[in-house]
Amino acid sequence: MSIPIYTYDAIIVGAGLAGCAAARELQNVGKKVAVITKLHPLRSHSGAAQGGVNAAFSDEDSVELHEFDTVKGSDYLADQDAVEFLCKNAPETIRWAERMGAAFSRTPDGKIAQRPFGGQSSPRACFAKDRTGLTLLQTIYEQALRTGVKFWDEWYVADLIYKDAKASGVIAFNIRDMKVAIFNAKSVMFATGGYARCFKINSNAHANTGDGLSIVARHGLPLEDMEFVQFHPSGLSGNGVLISEAARGEGGRLINSDGDRFMTKYAPNAMELASRDVVSRAILNEIREGRGVGPRKDAVFIDLTHLGRDLIMQRLPELRDLAITFLGLDMIKEPILISATAHYSMGGIPVNIAGNVRKNNNEFIEGFYAAGECSCVSVHGANRLGANSVLEALLFGRYVGKTMVEEIDDIELRVACEDDAKTALAELDWILSNNGDEIIANLREELQQCMTANAGAFRTKETLDIAVAKVKELRTRYQDVRIKDKSKIFNTELQEAIEFGHMLDYSAFIVESAVARNESRGAHFREDFNTRDDENFLKHTMAYMDKNGEISLNYMDVILGKHELKARTY
Amino acid sequence: MDTNSITTQTVNFKVFRFNSDVDYLPYYDNYTMEVTSEEVVLDILNRIKWDIDGSFSYRRSCRHGICGACAIKVNGRSTLACKERMNDMIDIFGTQLTFEPLSINRAVKDMIIDKADFWEKHNNVEPYLVSDIEENPKAEHLILPHDAEKLLEADLCIQCGSCHYACPVVEINDDFFGPAAFAAAYRFEADVRDEAGKSRLENLHSQKQGVWDCVKCFECAEVCPKEINPIDKITKLHQMLFKEGVATSNVATRHAVGFKRSIAKNGVLDEGGLVLYSEGLSIVKHVPVALRMFSKGKIVPPWAIVKSKNLDEIKKLVKSSSTAKF
Repeated sequence: MSIPIYTYDAIIVGAGLAGCAAARELQNVGKKVAVITKLHPLRSHSGAAQGGVNAAFSDEDSVELHEFDTVKGSDYLADQDAVEFLCKNAPETIRWAERMGAAFSRTPDGKIAQRPFGGQSSPRACFAKDRTGLTLLQTIYEQALRTGVKFWDEWYVADLIYKDAKASGVIAFNIRDMKVAIFNAKSVMFATGGYARCFKINSNAHANTGDGLSIVARHGLPLEDMEFVQFHPSGLSGNGVLISEAARGEGGRLINSDGDRFMTKYAPNAMELASRDVVSRAILNEIREGRGVGPRKDAVFIDLTHLGRDLIMQRLPELRDLAITFLGLDMIKEPILISATAHYSMGGIPVNIAGNVRKNNNEFIEGFYAAGECSCVSVHGANRLGANSVLEALLFGRYVGKTMVEEIDDIELRVACEDDAKTALAELDWILSNNGDEIIANLREELQQCMTANAGAFRTKETLDIAVAKVKELRTRYQDVRIKDKSKIFNTELQEAIEFGHMLDYSAFIVESAVARNESRGAHFREDFNTRDDENFLKHTMAYMDKNGEISLNYMDVILGKHELKARTY
Repeated sequence: MDTNSITTQTVNFKVFRFNSDVDYLPYYDNYTMEVTSEEVVLDILNRIKWDIDGSFSYRRSCRHGICGACAIKVNGRSTLACKERMNDMIDIFGTQLTFEPLSINRAVKDMIIDKADFWEKHNNVEPYLVSDIEENPKAEHLILPHDAEKLLEADLCIQCGSCHYACPVVEINDDFFGPAAFAAAYRFEADVRDEAGKSRLENLHSQKQGVWDCVKCFECAEVCPKEINPIDKITKLHQMLFKEGVATSNVATRHAVGFKRSIAKNGVLDEGGLVLYSEGLSIVKHVPVALRMFSKGKIVPPWAIVKSKNLDEIKKLVKSSSTAKF
């Protein structure tokens, strides 16, 4: 069999905000760039971001306050040089998106409108009604298309060409017909999104299976801070679909079965607008202690009725629609049911501010970059501030694109050969021909149930040990998987099998990193170590996986700065 | 679901199956399931795949109505699977439901169709803001809320294709851009920042592919899961074509102008005159029909038209509002 080799200057995997922004930078200076996505670009999960994108440009706000809120929100695990870069460049980035066509909501005098979000000192979240991500994704994709970027949609990237501390392309197959191709390039960027899909109750798209992370990890490269998964306070009861923080930003109140506005107990000053980790734990604690509501008593109310029809229709129309669709409840007339949902991945592929991927604490990989949710810069540390994710993806996507432009002429193309595809081909062949008795859907269900129960918003050594053992058990059982569909056209069963393999790998990183972090920081809350321990754990986890799937842990210093360590209260 | 109870009922599903790799012809599988009041159509697709037949294939991603991947047809009606409540489907169609792809002619595997025509048409209307992008702006454009609202929610279109594959013109005219592409074109034409000038509009004016081939059946507005109302955007584009002086005289534009002329002349519609104006000499082919309609009293001959009493006022209104040049 002969495998076609396509040669580009740069290959970008993932077509959300980060991928499209980088591609546009490269194409604009005449580099030949291909963006590969397993969906159509406009299906990328960036488009699901609802509430807003932060930029400190109002008169009452400042870049320094944005930095402070971000660092405090991160529970001091964010690298402060990266946070400074993010906050400083936010206003220009948002205005650049506006110049490209983003349809922001406006103030009466025509400026970009901003709303309050959790953990923020000032209303800072620029928004487009409650579909901010959608307008940004459309805009950056449209402008990338306009510059002539070549998109390979419905192609699945199965492996990275990596050896001798250098990346030189990817192996991908066309989901339409399973034809494999090698994409050879001087530089490769991963912008593959987050990994919360391994939890049963999550807000993520079906596509968010963390493929990029596991592909990197299988080459023996590190993943950083994987234990930090954000549980968003407001997922719809039952399925975890997100109700944006904008609902609380606009004035939503959380109520338990006793009719109490319970945030008075947990965050008397910030109330519902405390940081996400704080509010999520408060909600789950109310439910645990028997004050839940709804048919399963697994939710609390968020009451928006006092906002009135006009404001809800003007600012939260999509959210209203979601609650009607999934709960049959109209937030104009009645409170709706929410609970915490696995939402955002703070950890990921370790990179520096320029987007270069780390080989270890001190060395970088030539020609390999990452940005967006799949990466860990780290600007979010242990807990991301609301409306910083879209900002990170767009801003770092763009600047990493600029880094690639700067470095690309100094990189020599390592010419690919068919042998580079052998791991990917072997994986495809194994899944198609393996004749066991395990079914992917069942294994995935067990993993997700276990992760939500044992590695969720509340963790102990005991529960995490259960999760570690379960992941190992599932890894063994995965060897006995069998798929029914052996055909070549849109073999979505085969794709789900590959994706589940990725979920298993990165789940091992989450639970092993979590069991070793004997403290509570941001989204990682250990009931057996319920305070932050700066002496022992003010450091990033750097985890590695060997060929047998065993995880080993190392740590890397946090870059501190002008925002000094303080106790974190809201 | 209300806050207290979840109900279930038994539903029979007839599901379109086809794998172009191995099947010569499509067929239907039947499944019977207990459906809860919490479920949407996508939940049923997932249960077929995960619990019954792993080979069953469909596109899906976000699962909450914003990525546009999962549109299919339920009992012949386009719908976004992740946003359509099963209870609503049962209320409308009962407990016998048929799932089919958006376009059976384009079926590749089960619910998955080849959407190449959709994306090609989308890409052909300059679906982006035409503007010299300031790469390092110190300020945003100032856009008053009144101007921002002119997009009329066209920017909420998620390219699901529901309207495109429900459009009867798309089915018979391969060149026709279709309602989604027109909504996208409108989104930029309505944007005060756009500097495309006449280029996009000229493209939209061209015969066969352009807006004049819309038959105004309103099917697109009916099926849109985001309530974008594409035909409203098409009508707005008709008006823009006249206003910007792009519209040239052809049978379709004369049909539009014919209305105006008739109203300006009589204050009421003269149907015979309208056809004569839009079709010119070709009107002879309509004579047999016209005679039959005349004999049944369905149309009034031009000489018998009763002019409106307030014709002077109507003439002033038409003059002040019309931008037609012919």
